[in-house]
Amino acid sequence: MMNSSEHKQLTDKDLRRVNLRYMFGGQLGWNYERMMNVAYVHAILPAMSAMYGEDPEVLRDMLQMEMQFYNTSPFLSAIITGIDLSLQNESGTQSKDAVAAIKTGLMGPFAAVGDSLFGAVIPTIFGSLAAYMGIKGNPVGVLLWLLAAVVILGLRYFELPLAYREGKKLVSNVGNLLNNLTDAATLMGVLVIGGLIPTVVKVVVPFKLTIGKKALSIQTDMLDQILPAIVPIALVALAYWLLGRKHLNSTRVIWIFLLGSIVLYSLKLLAVGA
Amino acid sequence: MTADLSMIQITLLTLLAAACGIDPYISGLQLSKPAIAGFLAGLLMGDIQTGLVVGSTLQLMVLGVGTFGGASIPDFATGAIIGTALGVVSGKGIQFAIGISVPVGLLMVQLDVFARFCGVYFVHRVDKHIANMEFQKINREAWLSLIPIGLSRAIPVGISLIFGNQVVNAVLKYAPDWLMGGLKLAGAVLPVVGIAILLHYLPVNKFMAFLIVGYLLAAYMKIPMMGIALFGLVCAMVHFNGLTEKQKATPAVAVSASSEGEITDDEL
Repeated sequence: MMNSSEHKQLTDKDLRRVNLRYMFGGQLGWNYERMMNVAYVHAILPAMSAMYGEDPEVLRDMLQMEMQFYNTSPFLSAIITGIDLSLQNESGTQSKDAVAAIKTGLMGPFAAVGDSLFGAVIPTIFGSLAAYMGIKGNPVGVLLWLLAAVVILGLRYFELPLAYREGKKLVSNVGNLLNNLTDAATLMGVLVIGGLIPTVVKVVVPFKLTIGKKALSIQTDMLDQILPAIVPIALVALAYWLLGRKHLNSTRVIWIFLLGSIVLYSLKLLAVGA
Repeated sequence: MTADLSMIQITLLTLLAAACGIDPYISGLQLSKPAIAGFLAGLLMGDIQTGLVVGSTLQLMVLGVGTFGGASIPDFATGAIIGTALGVVSGKGIQFAIGISVPVGLLMVQLDVFARFCGVYFVHRVDKHIANMEFQKINREAWLSLIPIGLSRAIPVGISLIFGNQVVNAVLKYAPDWLMGGLKLAGAVLPVVGIAILLHYLPVNKFMAFLIVGYLLAAYMKIPMMGIALFGLVCAMVHFNGLTEKQKATPAVAVSASSEGEITDDEL
């Protein structure tokens, strides 16, 4: 395709500036109205100025297009930025409608993959390790998590150049890889949660049943014989069920459990286990 | 060891709270996670142990719960900072610290919503700068938008630390045992909510077998969490290879469909 418009070509230096703004400021100006649009425009500003800087009215029109609603995973956003900029570098202002459509089309899928991978699964795995060790006073898990966060930030450097080079071809290739990666990491996360329930939730039923002269501990003589950690499992099931109710969000369920704990503590029905 | 916090400690902890608050908007280095915030607060207080235990307990309540699509979740990072600082300075110990940090984290939700609401002001400022063709002013607005977020953490932390021991004494004086004991129990119970939220978010039905495997490894075989995570990694690798193999077997449809889309897009 011919380079039909009169904009300037992007240089590696322009892209590097965009990339640094994405890595250090990826959600600046977050707002309820159009969410991540300010961060997006702030990041691409050096590239947009380089391309259209000679004609402020063109730059204004293009930036107004880029200010549309934008919300995706902050950890994968630069893939969309890269595709956006490679299109604009190729076709300039003619790509305006295509860019707007592609941003809208891609932000949903990348939000889904990125939010589960970087928002849920990775924090679950590293958070579990950090908390499991941290509760015993061991900082190794926390340091491991910080290290992983720095490595992930470093890896994000490669999103923009890759997406810019490959353009739209990237979506089908990377899409499959990311989906598989997310699915596999999710499996790992679920397995870790399974191990977490009996190890970190230390709640027991404290009262003893006295039959004649024999004292029967509900916890050790009865519940533990049925299934280890049966109280935590039952509580998780209850919370899971409550979260599925229509009028209950996570904060309300936390309040319910907070108040419930105070009541059950006073009634001596539940206690902190060893 | 009932000492007051030094001015330097108060300043550093307040800055830490602001840094943890704005981290997700800058680089996502996970400083807003309670385990990490608690650890850092412990570092500043010279009592890493307390910071770690408080932060870790709170971490379990919001495991893997992110702020997707702008939903506000309990801010247990700020809770961990206040709890750790007051727990250490009053010498009342870890359970007291957790008891303080849980309600703090829950109350912080309202402030977070308020701070995020300020973002609407900045987006309209940016709109105006673009319309007026004053493009370089966009940068300023983007960074200024961090101020409400940072202050929403720094102000409550600063105030509660300045009044440190008075706050602790008031809590001890007016909070009866049923309340403090209940909060202590809540600290042990609330992780189940974090776990349940995650189970709602992840495709549990699909991976139910692995949930049970994780439970069995921990409950019956007593394998430490690191071992369970590595076992999960092995299962994940096998699963990943299986998925990749399956796609290699049937790639034709997906590729032709996507390249078609590409051609039509190029015409634009």
